[in-house]
Amino acid sequence: MSDPPEQTPSDLPEGASKRLAELEHGLFTSDLSVNEFLLIKEVGFHPVGFVMGSSIYHTGIQTRKWGQSQELTKLTEAMYNARELAMTRMEEEALELGADGVVGVRLDVNYYEWGKDAAEFIAVGTAVKAENGVSHRNRLGKPFTSDLSGQDFWTLMQTGHIPQGLVMGTCVFHIAHRGLGATLGSAGQNVELPNFTQALYEARELAMTRMQDEANELGASGIVGVRLEEKSHQWGSHTIEFLSLGTAVAKTSDEVTLPRPTTIISLDN
Amino acid sequence: MAVPSEAPGDLPEAAVRRFAEGAFTSGLTVPDFAACLQMGLEPVGFTQGYCVMQWQFYGASPFGLGGFGGQGTIRGYSETFNCPHGMVSGEHRAWGQNYEQSWVQDAWSTGFTTALDRMVEEAAAGGAHGIVGVVDSSAPLADMGVVEFRVQGTAVRVLDGEPPADGRPWSTYLAGQRLTKLVEAGYAPVSIAASVASVRQWANCVTQYLTEGVTSMYGGVTQGAEILQTVSAQSAARRIATERVRRQLGGDSLHGAALSTVQRNLGEGDAEIECVLRGNRVRRFKPFDPMPVARPTVRLS
Repeated sequence: MSDPPEQTPSDLPEGASKRLAELEHGLFTSDLSVNEFLLIKEVGFHPVGFVMGSSIYHTGIQTRKWGQSQELTKLTEAMYNARELAMTRMEEEALELGADGVVGVRLDVNYYEWGKDAAEFIAVGTAVKAENGVSHRNRLGKPFTSDLSGQDFWTLMQTGHIPQGLVMGTCVFHIAHRGLGATLGSAGQNVELPNFTQALYEARELAMTRMQDEANELGASGIVGVRLEEKSHQWGSHTIEFLSLGTAVAKTSDEVTLPRPTTIISLDN
Repeated sequence: MAVPSEAPGDLPEAAVRRFAEGAFTSGLTVPDFAACLQMGLEPVGFTQGYCVMQWQFYGASPFGLGGFGGQGTIRGYSETFNCPHGMVSGEHRAWGQNYEQSWVQDAWSTGFTTALDRMVEEAAAGGAHGIVGVVDSSAPLADMGVVEFRVQGTAVRVLDGEPPADGRPWSTYLAGQRLTKLVEAGYAPVSIAASVASVRQWANCVTQYLTEGVTSMYGGVTQGAEILQTVSAQSAARRIATERVRRQLGGDSLHGAALSTVQRNLGEGDAEIECVLRGNRVRRFKPFDPMPVARPTVRLS
């Protein structure tokens, strides 16, 4: 996977610079709910601004062999780079604000009528900064990113972990069409098709291993809230993107300050 | 039914490689993750098992002809519903039948069990003691008459605990507070348990009229009435699903069971009923220890 192009904050749109400059004077914007806001304050962070980054990327197509399951490496790379660009731009906005991290990150892909094979990758989240001035940036000196909600962020901090980064791995895979012979050979039987099982398993493992490589690069001790998403985007049903996403965390102390859970018999459903 | 005797050779290997590298992975939500740590369970990795099955429905007909490959011999539940009207015309459905589609059930359990075994195998290879927060699903793949079964969960190790005596990690759909409450109540998870029941309903004339609501030539517009054949098919499906899960329990209890039923209407009163029962096989490991009396608490969520 090639590294994302080096970008300087200078390429942020003018509108963003103006907005961010205003934010530096104490006003903040955030998409946090009231409860999330209170919990983030409770663990010593203050929201500094709603940040975003986007990238419109031409993903193109790649020739596929009709009868063979294979990874489409060009598409994998495109899907990865586009998200990485959006994330990097969001991080730049956060850097501009002097933030320690970004919480509640959402990564979306949008398609527009005007751009065939082009997709907009967008990352949004709320930048936060520690109130006591201690830096919580990750090993690479960048603000941490995480898709955790305010509640989850609070809970995680109580278990002695701190987010390091939203990590991801992707794999675009083409699933072979079945030949007439193969279809007829097993007609009328409900049996396992080991080749397909193995191809899909391999694709998911690749996505997960790549995600884990990112976490290792950040020196994380683990990844929480892993999700494995599958989407065909606009490629037809035989080409699937396997995307694995999670928040890499590092252990900062062995002390768990989470109050001992109380058993509650809840009265609501 | 050919049950693959073992997973394709290199499946668990990919996972072992992933497990061996630094960071753990966990598919749990943060509250469930925190609850796990609190209980002394340490995540090892997100584990998965898959099985892609060829999936075709043209099995048997009620006339016992069998389909291609002849796998569709009816066994188990079957019931006939005769016409009360006498000979009317060639199009009149003088005869209806409900029957258990045992080949669908067998294929489902092969797919499910194979995927589950692979997940458990992957967890065992990673040195886990159990698997929490299991999620399973099955979905058609591309457009090829192929169904993929998926079983995923988070493998955990019990801190200062012993590995399972038989070397097979335990598994449960529960995680977080539900799992904590289960253990607090004195039960230990053994395994997830699930089964499917599939019943086909070939409607007779009465069922057809009642379902379609058409004007019949005997007594004008059909009256509101119980559709006996459908009631019978639905209750048979539920009973079969329950019996099939009960057979997996081996004397243990089933906890947190959920039954979901889907009826696919095929027109003319014909239908296919699929019933899936999922639950957690649990075993008592300590006597019941009354929990503290709950008191109302205000909660910010």
